[in-house]
Amino acid sequence: MKYLVTIVLASAVLTGCSKLDEKLGSQVTGVGSGGAVSATDILAGTYSAMRGPYQDQSEVWASQQHTTDETIGPTRAGDWDDNGVWRVLHSHQWDPNHAFLANSYKDLGRVIFSATDLLRFSPTTQQAAEGRFLRAMAMFSMLDGWDQVPYRVNTADAEEVPSVRKGTVALDYIISELAAIIPSLPDGPARQANKDAGRALLMKCYLNKGVYANRSTPAFAPADMNQVITLADQIMTSVRGYTLASNYFDNFAPGNDNAGSAKEVIWTGENIGGVSSGNVRSRWFCGLHYNQNPSGWNGFTTLSDFYDKFEAADKRRGGNAYPGMTQGILPGFLIGQQYNGAGAPLNDRTGAPLAFTRAVKAIEVGSNLEVTGIRVIKYPIDYTSGDNSNNDYVYFRISDVILMKAEAELRGGTATASPAAFGGSNTALGQVNFLRTNVSRGASSLGSLTLDILIDERGRELYWEGWRRNDLVRFGKYLNAWQEKPADASPKTLLFPIPARSLAANPNLVQNSGY
Amino acid sequence: MLSSFLKKVSLLCLSLFSFVFSFAQDKVVTGKVTDSKDGSAVSGASVVVKGSRAGTSTDNEGNFRLSVSSSATTLVITSVGFDPVNVDITGKTAVTASLTPQPGGLSEVVVTGYGTARKKDLTGSVTSVKAKDFNKGVNTSPDQLIQGKVAGVQVVNNSGAPGGGTSIRIRGNSSLRAGNNPLIVIDGVPLSSTNSRPDIGVPGDIGGSTPSGNPLNFINPADIASMDVLKDASAAAIYGSRGSNGVILITTKKGQAGAAKIDFNASVGTSSILKRLEVLDGNQYRQALADFGFPNSVRTTAVPTANYGGNVNALNAILRTAMSQNYGVAFSSGNENAKYRVSLSYLDQEGIIRKSDFKKYTAGITSSFKMLESKKLGLDVNILTSQTIENIVPISNTAGFKGSLIGQALQWNPTRSLRKSNGDLDIEYGSSDINPLAFSESYFDKATVTSVLANFAPSYKITKDLEYKMQVSVNYSTGLRKSYTTAFININDIALSGGKGGEANIAQNELLTKQITNTLSYNKNLSSKLSLNAVVGHEYLKTTFSGNSQYGRGFIPTEKPYYYFMASSDPSNRRTNGFADPTVELQSFFGRAIFNYADKYLFTGTMRADGSSKFGKDNKYGYFPSLAAAWNISNEGFMSGLQAVKNLKLRLGWGITGNQEFPAGASQLLYVLNGGNPATFVQQQTPNPNLKWESTTTFNAGLDFTLLKGKISGSVDYFNRNTKDVLFAKDAADPVTPAGAIKWVNLNANVINTGVEIALNTNIVKKANFSWDLGTNVTFLQNELKNFIGEIPTGEVNGQGLSGAFSQLIKTGYALNTFYLKKFVGIDKATGISLYENGEEKFFLGSANPKLLLGVSTSVMYKKLSLELNLNGAFGQYIYNNTANAITAFNNIGKRNIGVAEYNLAKSLGEKPVNPTSASSRYLEKGNYLKLANATLSYNLGNLGKSIRNANVFITGQNLFVLTDFTGFDPEVNVSKPLNGIPSFGMEYTPYPSSRTFNFGINFSL
Repeated sequence: MKYLVTIVLASAVLTGCSKLDEKLGSQVTGVGSGGAVSATDILAGTYSAMRGPYQDQSEVWASQQHTTDETIGPTRAGDWDDNGVWRVLHSHQWDPNHAFLANSYKDLGRVIFSATDLLRFSPTTQQAAEGRFLRAMAMFSMLDGWDQVPYRVNTADAEEVPSVRKGTVALDYIISELAAIIPSLPDGPARQANKDAGRALLMKCYLNKGVYANRSTPAFAPADMNQVITLADQIMTSVRGYTLASNYFDNFAPGNDNAGSAKEVIWTGENIGGVSSGNVRSRWFCGLHYNQNPSGWNGFTTLSDFYDKFEAADKRRGGNAYPGMTQGILPGFLIGQQYNGAGAPLNDRTGAPLAFTRAVKAIEVGSNLEVTGIRVIKYPIDYTSGDNSNNDYVYFRISDVILMKAEAELRGGTATASPAAFGGSNTALGQVNFLRTNVSRGASSLGSLTLDILIDERGRELYWEGWRRNDLVRFGKYLNAWQEKPADASPKTLLFPIPARSLAANPNLVQNSGY
Repeated sequence: MLSSFLKKVSLLCLSLFSFVFSFAQDKVVTGKVTDSKDGSAVSGASVVVKGSRAGTSTDNEGNFRLSVSSSATTLVITSVGFDPVNVDITGKTAVTASLTPQPGGLSEVVVTGYGTARKKDLTGSVTSVKAKDFNKGVNTSPDQLIQGKVAGVQVVNNSGAPGGGTSIRIRGNSSLRAGNNPLIVIDGVPLSSTNSRPDIGVPGDIGGSTPSGNPLNFINPADIASMDVLKDASAAAIYGSRGSNGVILITTKKGQAGAAKIDFNASVGTSSILKRLEVLDGNQYRQALADFGFPNSVRTTAVPTANYGGNVNALNAILRTAMSQNYGVAFSSGNENAKYRVSLSYLDQEGIIRKSDFKKYTAGITSSFKMLESKKLGLDVNILTSQTIENIVPISNTAGFKGSLIGQALQWNPTRSLRKSNGDLDIEYGSSDINPLAFSESYFDKATVTSVLANFAPSYKITKDLEYKMQVSVNYSTGLRKSYTTAFININDIALSGGKGGEANIAQNELLTKQITNTLSYNKNLSSKLSLNAVVGHEYLKTTFSGNSQYGRGFIPTEKPYYYFMASSDPSNRRTNGFADPTVELQSFFGRAIFNYADKYLFTGTMRADGSSKFGKDNKYGYFPSLAAAWNISNEGFMSGLQAVKNLKLRLGWGITGNQEFPAGASQLLYVLNGGNPATFVQQQTPNPNLKWESTTTFNAGLDFTLLKGKISGSVDYFNRNTKDVLFAKDAADPVTPAGAIKWVNLNANVINTGVEIALNTNIVKKANFSWDLGTNVTFLQNELKNFIGEIPTGEVNGQGLSGAFSQLIKTGYALNTFYLKKFVGIDKATGISLYENGEEKFFLGSANPKLLLGVSTSVMYKKLSLELNLNGAFGQYIYNNTANAITAFNNIGKRNIGVAEYNLAKSLGEKPVNPTSASSRYLEKGNYLKLANATLSYNLGNLGKSIRNANVFITGQNLFVLTDFTGFDPEVNVSKPLNGIPSFGMEYTPYPSSRTFNFGINFSL
């Protein structure tokens, strides 16, 4: 037996005992691996990580739009049942297993992770500030929807169980981060995290502070409202030199990253035409009918009650020709008979006229189910860039800043005069009228301004831009009944449930009450 | 042409190897070898001159003819299953020999991993299938050879395509991730579960990628001598951290001592679709339009109805009767000290879908030498080479609403001609309806996989009892895949636009495994009654896997393959990628001891220590022990009076085996280049430094028996497999890395598989001219997940209106892959819309795992004619019919075609076309089936003329019929529909349909 063991051991030695250290191929270990990973890399990855949650039609945008009076995803027989995911968003009947809400939460977390990871790679002061700004934005969206923001301290520590900041604690953290980094952010361009983007997000924080303290009955402190007003004035007078665009839709058109025609955009998510983009084209694909060009998905629509909030003359409602939109589709709302590029009327797939109706139901059961609902084209279509559209995704615009300033003034802030470039008015009404009546909007002047009127104006100006839920909650209207939705039975729906999969992975998360 | 090729090959072989058997020959001895029991001929018996290298084997009538030197005195005649006999030939030229059979094939040698054992010495659950019992017909990979043959083993096709992959389940599934297939070892070389054939996506926005190929395709089934399935831990624990799902040991044919022998086989066959999924024809469709209130006048530009006026079967347009041909030649020769076998084969199997086929070329040599004066030094050298060339059709597992090729054919409006009146294909640009024939015409996809498996094994007999063996092996395979889609097809991003269109892919992967094994084996009779058979060893294995790919889109159309002109594709849509997985190293120490006391009491103990580079740094080595005992009751004195019982053996075994099928690198903090533009490094996953193998504790109790003089033999086994530390890619805690939201963990949960296997073989009739054997195997299976916290959805349901839908939920207290769906209770008469129990609530509704597996094989021989039949079936499982849910669903009426079953149901229930598509129990079907998998009728022509021996002609039918209520193509197809990487089971979605094959062939020897 001795003999036996000796030979085996000898042969093992001959073969060479391996230490079994894992030798890597195309992966790298990060720090100290020949410099393959740099702060520049991680920051670029963080910007890329923003595309999923914000530009896709099924994530943050869906959570902010489908849950409101602006948007519905009707089930059309064989189309768009999708396990009920769209219906339950509109009717506020989601549960912790809702796939899209879960994906939103997870994908916002990716931004938070990546930005935190960036800090391990010796970023420059500006790179760190950009990363921390993107993180603040993602944290804000998580706080707004779910009230609980998990975070990691050390992204290299696999054993770390992420801690969680809730409600006002999370908000205070975001505010402190923004205050700390704004000086280090660049002035522009719009596609990069910039000082005004920091200020605009800080405005959202102060404006919603009372909401995150108590979502059912928010109280708005004058000091917070004054912060909103001060920040608005800083943005309106910043070196970026914002002015209203000559055409409202220029802000969303292909090429809106070069400031030429889109002087309203403060901060966008960069999409490089034909090269690299998020799913911004879903904004037009989701509503266009199969027989339109481009052939769409025949899904989402707006609701007639919302459509009726516009005056006929309001150019934001659309109906006007736009450069490059040559295939019979105009930006704005699509209602009634649709035409092709040659001006010939289109039919739907059953041979009936392709005429979009005012009426729409959560579950369509009529023979006209392909054509129900008013379609929305917020982003002029990029016909030349293939999969990768050249429309940058708009996060913040100057008109939102104007409307937030007016709102803060209505909510007890001290009104200040807007800069001359924005009409110079020192009243909320005057500031809103400046926006509404600008030649690019063409709406009539309002006689008075109340919060109820202002929420409608926010809808008209910012429709389908992914802020409606946030606005309705702040204005106390989110639980109301509207088209295809009864009033909510319980205020629990002011928050989304923590996704079951996320909850199971982190004991520091606690399910929101009522779920 | 082929016959001349074969002739050349045989001449070449003859001239190359003739030196081996050129020696003095003085006289000719002829003889006949028979079975002592009934006088029937024993074919294939080895006849060797004692003390010499001369020998031959008997033909089908038991006859042999051998030239021997005049000094030869004795022939040694041996045959598997019989006791050997010495025959005196002094002064004789004609002899007869009568062989005495051993009961129940007990002296049969079974391969056990790092050694062999006599079947009667086994303590574990091992089933050995020899070449003569393999499934006949056209088989592209070895797993098909034992389909339905072994109790407890289920082999399910993942695709009906020639060369398609299979899912092999030994005693149920124990894993929550993809990694339920057993370890496969060929001549001591374990195969990687990875396949070097690259995966590529189907074109444009169709969605998904084509199913993976079968990693076993490189083996020539005709080169396999036996396949041994190690089912319990006592048998499989010697494979340690890779043994949990069982082990299949493949042993290739080796040269035999004796005169040179050349075996030929040739066959040709035809295949056609086994079973159709019935959709409406043109006339039925027009009727259906009328029935449901759609205008059905013939379409005009002014009134564009859905009735195009024709009657077309679009599925037929892409199906065909496929031809196959298979040729093989094997040359073997040798003497006691040098044996060779060289084999060549060629298989050309067309698929039943046009433009799909599978070609395989193999060449292999196995050789075995004994050297030195003492013959103590041995050397085995085996080399298997092969190339497979596949033409693949665009069928995807996860196509969206446009469907992939099969879906497009099923949903094509049957009143609409596929061609216009001028003969051109009807392609409607801007429409989402894709002409399946046009898609087929536009798609080209070829995969070439080239493999070499070489293994070099010297051995040295240190003493009479002690032998040292080293085995060094290299297994290299490279897969190259090139595809393109021409610009004329109306698929988004492919269709010609601005003078450019189409797309192309080139991808190449390389897989290399090197292994070195050192073993010492010791066989000694420790006393007159106690013997020991022991082996100890060390093994080191290293695997690397890497690849690269190019993708381009936007070509100027040309007649040539677009991938020639990759550099001219649209730069903004051109992608290049590369990867190299972390090297996987496995280092092991193992040992096994078998004690046999008086052939009555057997004891086996094994131990393996496996260290893996994949394991986390805190868990580098795992230990896998097993213990088993057997009692040969029939050898006890008190049994001697019982003549009816030839053999009765009780086996008990316990052991722990492991599973380490998780991706290399999962334990480490890694950054990976995240594709796209700009490509950036991001953290890949949340690492787990504690990550280790999953382990399964198995208890097995079995009884082997041979009764009534060997007329009935069989075994009954009970098993209980308890899997813990279940490997799982868990959701990592938010916030997660941009590249991966998962963390590989060992879950604190148990998967329990219990079951009973019964195998029974009966010789119903055994006479000289007539025999009838019947073999049956039955397996009862039960599967349950326990102690698992959480719920994991899987079984993704795809198609229009089905985003986010899934069909299965993994939850504690239920079997893995239990269906979880809304319960369809009928149609609301008023609205024509589906009603579900409690609205949106979902229920657990039966599992995808069969409760009962059945295999029946029978062979009847009458004189020279024999008939073999193989039936197999599975019962108690459910199948989710995603095809009916999405592609042929009733609410497509007016736009696309629908299924006959859907139409009839809609009519009877009063369903309206506006009824939303929804995943529900409506599409959950019982999967019970019984298949006549194989029937072979053969006629033994015997010897023809002077040179042709043992000629045999046969006709084989595969998949002759299937009895099932399932409305899809084939209840035995498992389309992979994972969700978040969690594997599904029991899903059907527009798969490549299964085929029925008839094959005619001939075998003979020279």
